[in-house]
Amino acid sequence: MDKTKITGRVAYHDPCNYGRKSEELFGHGFYEEPRWILDQCVSEWVSLHPDKGTQYCCGGGGGTLQTPYKEERFIYGRKKIEQIRQSDAQMVVLPCHSCHGQIKALLEENHMNHIPVKYLWEVVADTLIVDAD
Amino acid sequence: MTIKKEAPLRPVQSVTDLCHTCGSCSAICPLTGAKGFNPRKIVYMAIQERDQEIIDSPWPWICTMCGRCEHACPMGINIVNVIRTARGMVDRKNVPLMLQKGIELGLETGNNLGLPDEDFKFIIEDVASELADQPGFESFQVPFDKKGANLLHTLHNKLVNTQNEDLVHWWKIFHVAGEDWTIPSRNWEGVNWGYFSGDDEVMKVFVGRIVEHMEQFEIKNLMYPE
Repeated sequence: MDKTKITGRVAYHDPCNYGRKSEELFGHGFYEEPRWILDQCVSEWVSLHPDKGTQYCCGGGGGTLQTPYKEERFIYGRKKIEQIRQSDAQMVVLPCHSCHGQIKALLEENHMNHIPVKYLWEVVADTLIVDAD
Repeated sequence: MTIKKEAPLRPVQSVTDLCHTCGSCSAICPLTGAKGFNPRKIVYMAIQERDQEIIDSPWPWICTMCGRCEHACPMGINIVNVIRTARGMVDRKNVPLMLQKGIELGLETGNNLGLPDEDFKFIIEDVASELADQPGFESFQVPFDKKGANLLHTLHNKLVNTQNEDLVHWWKIFHVAGEDWTIPSRNWEGVNWGYFSGDDEVMKVFVGRIVEHMEQFEIKNLMYPE
């Protein structure tokens, strides 16, 4: 992994399904695994606070992105935007397709779309050192 | 059928013995107040068997089932399950259209977009050939329906639809790591909207297709993106 490829502070968002809900339903929340992966790929990252079991949902989970309730999604997402602002991060990283879509829409709505949103596996792919085939 | 009877409760069988109406759930939910949404009120309505009021409201669909409410509940009431059970009791013609349409297309075609199998194969091979133009990935190919593979990779439909550029991240990792992986040429759908719509029967159909594929092709592990 090349940790110099991504510069600036990265903020990590815990998706409900990988964390709190997995912990409840399967007895294990995936909190440490993504953090270990980030340690390998980027030099400076923080968790959005509060994190892990008490994190805030992005506001787009549970199929709500497929409903017409856009206004409610933005109300739900106000906490997420506040957290991202407070983190002072230049990139948001997360491992969930729903969170990805919702947080991108939230950033756009709040005129913060200079902050890119990346999948955790995208960060891994982007920082891989690729040898000749 | 009522929500109270349908939604398994813990640790005892009667929610009336559990809820202290403390309001921790409502205090911690970012959605409290939006369209009159209030988890404490919903739990109390379920206790009183005022199911129809919940079912007819937009509440089951604006809640993201994130579970923050029940994480805060001192009595461990399974509030998410109250919501999902209510969703399941909504007449299918009143389920948000995009969700229900996706489910119907999924049942019919194997994916929520209703994309024909040959179009799917074309999109995947097109994006794969672009990746193969990059240094280090010259030999890259997408293995469809590979027998005995270690990993079955299903796909979120939006990657096949509007976000093709996000298909390659996992492929790059697989290629560099030398992973023995495969994707299904049909029934590749990697989201299960039966879970979201509260329809257990639909959910089982989608899960069953993946299980069947894994058994037929003797695939050891499943990677489900959602």
